[in-house]
Amino acid sequence: MLEDLVVGLAGSGGDGVVSAGESLLAAASSQGFYAVMTKSFGSQIRGGESSCRVRLSTRKIPNPGGVLDVAVALNWEDFRRFGAELPIGPDTVLIHEAKAGSPPSDFAPPGRMPREVIGVPLAELAKSSAGTDRAKTSVVLGALCSWFGVSQEALERGLQKKFGQKGAGLFEANRKALASGIAFAAEHPLAAPRSLARPAAATPKLLCDGNEMCASAAIFSGCDFFGGYPITPSTEVMQILSRELPKYGGVVLQAEDEISGVGSAVGASFAGKKSMTATSGPGMSLKTEVLGLASIAELPLVLLNVQRGGPSTGLPTKPEQADLFQAAFSAHGDVLRPVLAPTSVEDTFWLTVEAFNLAERYQTPVVILSDQEIAQRKETVDPVDVSRLEVLERTRPTPEQLAQGYQRFADTPSGVSPLSHPGMKGGNYLAAGIEHDAKGAPTASGAVHAAMNRKRFRKLDPLQERADLFLREGPADAPLALVSWGSSAGVAREAFGLARARGLPVKLLVPYLLYPVAEPVYRNFFAGVRRGLVLELSHQGQLYRVLRMFVDVPGGVTSFARSGAQPFRADEVLARMQQLAEGL
Amino acid sequence: MVPIVGIDFERITLRDALDLAVLIEEEARDRYWEFADQLASHDSPEVADFFARMARIEDRHRSELLERRRTMFGNAPSTVERRQLFDVEAPAYEEARAFMGVRQALEAVLAAEVKAHAFFSEALPRVKDPELRALFTELRDEEVHHQSLVKAELARCPEKADDSEAYADDPNAQ
Amino acid sequence: MESFLAPNDYKSPLKPIWCPGCGDYGVLQALYRALSAVGRPPHEIAFISGIGCSSRIPGYTTAYGFNSVHGRALPIAQGVKLANPDLLVVVAGGDGDGFSIGGGHLPHAIRRNIDLTYLVMDNQVYGLTKGQLSPTSKRGLKTVTSPFGSFEQPINPLLTVLAYGAGFVAQATPADMPGMTALIEEAIRYPGFSFVNIQSPCVTFGEEEQQLRAHKARMKSLASLGHDPANQLAALDLARAYGEELYTGVFYRNPHPPPTYDALVRQRQVELQRGEPRPRARVLEAYLKA
Repeated sequence: MLEDLVVGLAGSGGDGVVSAGESLLAAASSQGFYAVMTKSFGSQIRGGESSCRVRLSTRKIPNPGGVLDVAVALNWEDFRRFGAELPIGPDTVLIHEAKAGSPPSDFAPPGRMPREVIGVPLAELAKSSAGTDRAKTSVVLGALCSWFGVSQEALERGLQKKFGQKGAGLFEANRKALASGIAFAAEHPLAAPRSLARPAAATPKLLCDGNEMCASAAIFSGCDFFGGYPITPSTEVMQILSRELPKYGGVVLQAEDEISGVGSAVGASFAGKKSMTATSGPGMSLKTEVLGLASIAELPLVLLNVQRGGPSTGLPTKPEQADLFQAAFSAHGDVLRPVLAPTSVEDTFWLTVEAFNLAERYQTPVVILSDQEIAQRKETVDPVDVSRLEVLERTRPTPEQLAQGYQRFADTPSGVSPLSHPGMKGGNYLAAGIEHDAKGAPTASGAVHAAMNRKRFRKLDPLQERADLFLREGPADAPLALVSWGSSAGVAREAFGLARARGLPVKLLVPYLLYPVAEPVYRNFFAGVRRGLVLELSHQGQLYRVLRMFVDVPGGVTSFARSGAQPFRADEVLARMQQLAEGL
Repeated sequence: MVPIVGIDFERITLRDALDLAVLIEEEARDRYWEFADQLASHDSPEVADFFARMARIEDRHRSELLERRRTMFGNAPSTVERRQLFDVEAPAYEEARAFMGVRQALEAVLAAEVKAHAFFSEALPRVKDPELRALFTELRDEEVHHQSLVKAELARCPEKADDSEAYADDPNAQ
Repeated sequence: MESFLAPNDYKSPLKPIWCPGCGDYGVLQALYRALSAVGRPPHEIAFISGIGCSSRIPGYTTAYGFNSVHGRALPIAQGVKLANPDLLVVVAGGDGDGFSIGGGHLPHAIRRNIDLTYLVMDNQVYGLTKGQLSPTSKRGLKTVTSPFGSFEQPINPLLTVLAYGAGFVAQATPADMPGMTALIEEAIRYPGFSFVNIQSPCVTFGEEEQQLRAHKARMKSLASLGHDPANQLAALDLARAYGEELYTGVFYRNPHPPPTYDALVRQRQVELQRGEPRPRARVLEAYLKA
């Protein structure tokens, strides 16, 4: 019985490959499986090559998986276009449209050809059962249902959702197509049968992606204003909030450009509201100046950057983790702003809440570095107990403070000065990008400037002690270390589990807080470490470099990094760790 | 909409008319190749193949007319330019659609043939020279013949409404 | 006498990603023909664009292309033309690229009057990112970022560009291919900043009444209305109907085009050099204290 199954499907956008994946995902979730789905497609807006991968498991899923257990090719050309995104191996069950013939001889790298290859007359079965060969993906779903133990009833519900509104008879036709797939599979059992284990009781789960989680968390945190601009792959956050935020009394502005988007958000913050913007790399580049303004004016702001391939226009639909330098350092002058990174759809929620809390408490922009994979992959998530999440408000001046000559930027032991906003009598002040004294008056004094820099940096000192914003696993004295962040951390976690199961002396660190670098946490973690890897998806290995700026990283800890759009696999990370473990 | 600019049908020579006929087929051929490319890169191989077939047919028509021109006028330079034609027999770009079926493609071809026929019909009254009239009449009647071929194929095509849009995935943001 | 360049000499082998039925295919075809009519060879043409579906267009021609960043095609193009005024410079983009994020650059490109041609493929939607509101979307339009209907009054591209003082302003649609081809050619030939707003519908995210079939029914040529393109006030008046009427043709053509910025720069360079080019190696002589 299988606890885990990774299915990859490829065909053309016109075939409804992604919709089939969504039906499979929904069916699996309703059965009680954990499931995650990613998709990939060509450069056409519609109708190009299209693929998706669905991973089902009885346990929580750390990442979308590596080598496929099941590969479905509606035609060979489209499947091949996805290359290393849909890796196959000898143990993969390769299902294909029978009409397409046997796989081309160079379909798999040498030694990687699947042992079990099954041609299914998809178009023919679709035609005879549903009246159109377009229904082939429903036939596929039927076959998967029978061979691997996905519930037929659940799949039918998925079909109802897709076809129910689209015209008389479409759902019925596809239901028949599904049944014909089931019948075919029953008559042609797999040579090496594999069926999914029954999940424990089907508890209700959430099914959503990272963008949906972030938007929801913003609403939960009390965000009242969103200003932004469309950019792939973050636009969904703005679209969701356009629909939902007004229902909570908030406002969404699709501004004329990225700068206006963040500018309006800073304005809303100045006016006393929790506010947010969302973008990707190119937009982040444009927003730099206003971010600097928010830092010196000490205004709270949450900025979501859903990283995509860069630089410049780069690879708009692929994940990469190469915006860390920018998130941490892009500003002229001495600026320190917190940077947080989720590692999954699930932790995007609490991490976004934390981002708002940090922004409000420390009166600073906070960057959330998500990436295309987390933002757009659909995942089942255990329900979130929001009662356990604290929502913090900005410190406002008390009536006494307002009555006694309020000074907006007066220094305090913590470095945080109570923040007033227009409408608050007695709290009037000038916010500015120009350097200013405690009252907010412009100054060119070097002494005041130095004191203000110290204040703005000092207020963030508590972040050095935030070990709660790190995930640590494994024996404290392990000599082998694995560090990773963002979507790569999901692969690291799986590899770590495999390594521990093989007795490797390894410990894992996943920072959620990337910047400022919490030196005590790293000092503690790296104590006794002789070798290790920092795993991330960027050409330069940006976290590795940033750590080396601030921390004594042991010489044997190296960077395992490569350009985006080529996600890591747990098996290759494990292999590297096994190599490093030799002789330890 | 006038599909041809800068040609006076009352003064056109036989050579010009043949050159025009060649260009009309050429324009249609190139458009069908474009449609074949568009539908191929939007993953509709069956419709792409259909348009490729149309392109080859138009190319054949072109070759036949070019042969006649060469026989009568050799390689004398042409005074008619491709730039003067605007979709005389070529289907308009907006006839193509992602996920279009063969039936819709046939309808686009039929519309193009009807358009071409209308063009020759309208030009005919203005043409005085008997040899030219004969040519234009022949070209016009060819279109009728083509139309009947297309209608025959349409009749063989399933009448059922195409559900392609219902099955297709949602568009992708880039 | 230069050798004749056919429209297909401007066609690159790259296959467009545009959806079948997209208005931009017509624009591309018209552009091949217009460039062929003007006759400059592809290597002397610089074709600059921003980001969007329509901004992919330079890659589908054999000219030197620059598919740059969102909204910045005009600044980049002006730099190209000033660096080498002998080049033919064409600029393209969508309504979002040009009037939203690029809006701030418009007045300055126009008042500078550098000799280039700006083609905007206006489809009132953000196509590449999947259907958001655009600055030329009708008020009240429901999109994924205006699910309850937009509150915003659309920008009027024609009025805006005319009001900023452009010397050549026209509107076209692929529903009238001969007309659009002639307008693009005329815009390229105009000595100075020239603008053609092209109603090029999005077949995937546009409304039914925005498609080319609807254009054919609605379009009215300015010539048929008896409009005199030398009359700027009349042009402004007609431009006000953007959104209600689909007027095609030349709204305004300055009958006395002023010298272009690039021509004036050249003239001044000549004057300052007084016929003698200065050796750059001697640049520091100005600071020598004898």
